[in-house]
Amino acid sequence: MTTTAPKKSPNIVAIVIVTVAVAINLVIAKLMATWSYSWFPPQASTASSYVDDLFALETGIGSFIFFGCTGVMGWVMLFNRAGKYDESDGAPIEGNTKLEITWTVIPLLLVFAIAFYSMKVNDTLNALGPKQKYAVGADTRELIKADPMAQVGPVQVIARQWSWEFIYPNGVRSSELHLPIDQRVNLQLQSEDVIHSLYVPAFRLKQDIIPGSIISYSLTPTKEGRFRLRDAMFSGAYMSVNQSNVIVESDEAFSNWLTRTAQRALQPGLDPGRALYDRRIARGDKGWATVPPAPPPMVNDPGDPSIPHDA
Amino acid sequence: MTTTDYDPRILKAPHPVPGAPDNWKRFFSFNTDAKVIGIQYIATSLFFLLVGGLLAMIVRGELITPPADLVDPSVYNGLYTMHGTVMLFLFLFPILNGFNNLLIPTMIGAPDMAFPKLNAIAFWLVPVFAVVLMGSFFAPGGPASSGWWSYPPMSLQNPLNHFINGQFLWILAVALSGISSIMGAVNFVTTIIRMRAPGMGFFKMPVFVWTAWAAQTIQLVGLPALTGGAVMLLFDLSFGTTFFRPEGGGDPVLFQHFFWFYSHPAVYVLVLPVFGIFSELFPVYARKPLFGYRFVAIASFGITFLSLIVWVHHMFYSGTPMWMRNLFMATTMLIAVPTGVKVFAWLGTLWRGNLRLNTPMLFCLGGLFNFIFAGITGVMLATVPIDVHVGNTYFVVAHFHYVIFNTIGFGVFAGIYHWFPKFTGRMYYEGLGKIHFVLTFIGATLNWLPMHWAGLYGMPRRVASYDPEFAIWNVIASIGAFMLGVASIPFILNMVSSWARGPKAPANPWRAIGLEWLLPSPPPAQNFEDDIPTVISEPYGYGLGQPLVKDEEFYVRRSQEA
Amino acid sequence: MTSVNPNIQLNHTPGHVKHDGHNMTGFVIFLCSESVIFLAFFAGYAVLKLTAPQWLPDGVEGLEVRMPLINTVVLVSSSFVAYFAERYLHHRNLWGFRAVWFLTMAMGSYFVYGQYLEWSELTFSLRSGVFGGMFYLLTGFHGLHVITGILLMGLMLARSFRPGNYDRGEMGVASVSLFWHFVDVIWIILFLLIYVWQ
Repeated sequence: MTTTAPKKSPNIVAIVIVTVAVAINLVIAKLMATWSYSWFPPQASTASSYVDDLFALETGIGSFIFFGCTGVMGWVMLFNRAGKYDESDGAPIEGNTKLEITWTVIPLLLVFAIAFYSMKVNDTLNALGPKQKYAVGADTRELIKADPMAQVGPVQVIARQWSWEFIYPNGVRSSELHLPIDQRVNLQLQSEDVIHSLYVPAFRLKQDIIPGSIISYSLTPTKEGRFRLRDAMFSGAYMSVNQSNVIVESDEAFSNWLTRTAQRALQPGLDPGRALYDRRIARGDKGWATVPPAPPPMVNDPGDPSIPHDA
Repeated sequence: MTTTDYDPRILKAPHPVPGAPDNWKRFFSFNTDAKVIGIQYIATSLFFLLVGGLLAMIVRGELITPPADLVDPSVYNGLYTMHGTVMLFLFLFPILNGFNNLLIPTMIGAPDMAFPKLNAIAFWLVPVFAVVLMGSFFAPGGPASSGWWSYPPMSLQNPLNHFINGQFLWILAVALSGISSIMGAVNFVTTIIRMRAPGMGFFKMPVFVWTAWAAQTIQLVGLPALTGGAVMLLFDLSFGTTFFRPEGGGDPVLFQHFFWFYSHPAVYVLVLPVFGIFSELFPVYARKPLFGYRFVAIASFGITFLSLIVWVHHMFYSGTPMWMRNLFMATTMLIAVPTGVKVFAWLGTLWRGNLRLNTPMLFCLGGLFNFIFAGITGVMLATVPIDVHVGNTYFVVAHFHYVIFNTIGFGVFAGIYHWFPKFTGRMYYEGLGKIHFVLTFIGATLNWLPMHWAGLYGMPRRVASYDPEFAIWNVIASIGAFMLGVASIPFILNMVSSWARGPKAPANPWRAIGLEWLLPSPPPAQNFEDDIPTVISEPYGYGLGQPLVKDEEFYVRRSQEA
Repeated sequence: MTSVNPNIQLNHTPGHVKHDGHNMTGFVIFLCSESVIFLAFFAGYAVLKLTAPQWLPDGVEGLEVRMPLINTVVLVSSSFVAYFAERYLHHRNLWGFRAVWFLTMAMGSYFVYGQYLEWSELTFSLRSGVFGGMFYLLTGFHGLHVITGILLMGLMLARSFRPGNYDRGEMGVASVSLFWHFVDVIWIILFLLIYVWQ
């Protein structure tokens, strides 16, 4: 049962105020959407621009809704406040069925539109390949199904508590991920212990690494530089330092690096958890339970953590 | 006063009741009165709010500087895990059950819950599992330290190889919490279905009762799935099974499905009653009917239904195939619709109202403001390509704290202040309440707004140390957190001193419309006892000039005489 | 401080609320919730069976179906027997009720014994991979419910000797009977899942 206030003739002042407010809101929403691009690290992969555009769209729509709603709240808090001793009631409006239907249907259409658009983005990025489980003791190299569209790889990515290892098709092992620019690379993600996650903020890409499975994942870097690679799934005591770098370089530099590195002797790779663990042991192993770090991977190129990263 | 001055029923009661010489003891006893149990739940939860808050202070102390220099990283992991666990299982779920106990019987005119003894048992399980959980700090190897999700294989590592370890105790505590919650849910749902006052059909029930019913339905359907997953995790941890261990053929992602099948709907269990609180309070303090009462009521169950089919949005970059990610993106986005219905209804309620900005209303307005923001970041997280970037970063931490604290926490505070006079019989001090609100609003905003940018720039969550470029966001966040810690002082002071020596509260200090306001403050043991009013109007009839019940003046007079 | 004056004049008809019949509602709600934990285990069983790289442990070809089928027949029949016991009680034929109710308990106990026999003859354990784990988890959890049902039935049997026990209805027996049917239905699904779908 709804009762509406008695109909009055259209209030011109109200219509003008609302129109102006909506116009200002649209301008602010557009500004927020544009500003949102600066809230990200630099765009360094083909996925980055899609993600940033989608986020800008949602920031714009979200800002419009947010400022619209909070504008209404601000208005009533300013102009509808009861005086200190005023105990009278507000306008006895119980509802407005047409309005209620409108504000149910419009959000419904809006979210469907966003979902549909996002599905197309997922399709375009086409980053995720098959995930294959393997039984204990199986040789995972036999399970690798390379991405037919990839130009580089497959590069085996092995995540451990707490280090990264990258193994290239020609046998080169590295602690840092070198990639040639503008070429699609296929990664084969594996974990030897717990769930880890490969996350490169500049690429806007993340994929969890599940022990007992190999997950095929492909991406295309589009900007040269040195970008952070972080373990984004909680993986134990020293998960925070389980970071490495992605070095995106020209095709020539990449080939040079591959050949040069193949000739380097194997040495212990980047093992950031080890130093912290050793320090803990030296102080008497105080603290709560943790597994010791896995032995560092033996690699040709242990990388250089002292070089600063771009993003 | 001599014994002849007391009502004879007080002297004959088997346990202390309001008015008796030692009635404070009833809060420490096995008492089956829902109003006593409600206060027991609320007081216990507020204690654990402080415990969880203390853990958060240490966490934010660690995070105010980039390196992990305050506590050992293994200790940090235990602290943040227990912060989440305590806040959810020892603060939020119990305090909402406290509200259910106080409000459901009184709002529907029932004398008590359907199963009063079961009600008391459900409460007393809380201190039991609290001891188990707090005791886990002293287990060999420390408490559970794999996050409140306890994902295997991480949670199964048990480095010191003890049978009784922190993770084991954690699973036990969560299982006991589940049993307590199911007992409560059976009780609340039965009470709502079968014990409403004459004339109170479903569409004359207050919205809080609708949302409580919707929330408890979720508990009934979802909790057993978590129990199942927890049992399997416990077996893997302690009895050598391999459900989630890959080396035994198990699947770690299967646990995630079990876990989130409950834990996503769980967040609606937490937020729905707060939506109910907002729906109750906005009409009172705007002196207007709730806009679109029926849509709001039905939307509660819309949320219940949808909440059960969205859980994979916590697993968008996990080991899930793309078709599953697309499907659950669509269902997750749908939840914005019934939620939006409620938000717009509240705005419609405020519009052209006559607002009184006292403490409960300020917390409701602040909560609504924050919730609109949180809802928008929620839609962003539902969008798979965006979630792939910001998932498991501080963007998510920001979003869920915006819901859990800045909306739900605010709603809980609003409810406490609003119903404080009714159930304690005392008025709280308004000045302290406003100070509490200002400090909380500013602190909460400073704490969680900056985290959105930390996440967008790529700072992962659950880290004890971080790259220096994230420092500025963390410094601001920690300042906000410390401010929140300080904000608890005026709140505690207010609660304690108001109950001890605040001015006596009238039956209806807010001139609100509802059955609970037709009772004295505090209500007697059996509420309306044998004289239950017959409801004749829909709720929230502000400005419509109709009485809520037949012979309303009789009940008003009776409530004031006590 | 409240003290409603018991002598106050009522100038209206006070409303009353139903105070009876809550127990069955609450119990039905509880059973619906309890069924979800079994559904969760069933879902886990199905997912692991379909996706595990190695499902059956080495040396295990499958499960023998004959003995479990006999157990199933006994358990399902016991539900019908329980129904007849309830009919006797409804007609207040107490010794008839007790005898048939006891028969139900005996059939349930045979089921538990049969389960124990089957377990003792199996060549794999709880720790034999995912199949071993799920098998013992499902049958063990169900068995616990059967034992609980038998104990509850025993309680109802003992109470039947109390004078005036059924003056206010047979809610206790009706609830336990419902629980027994529930345990039965769960077993049927379990049997199809584990023994038939091999």
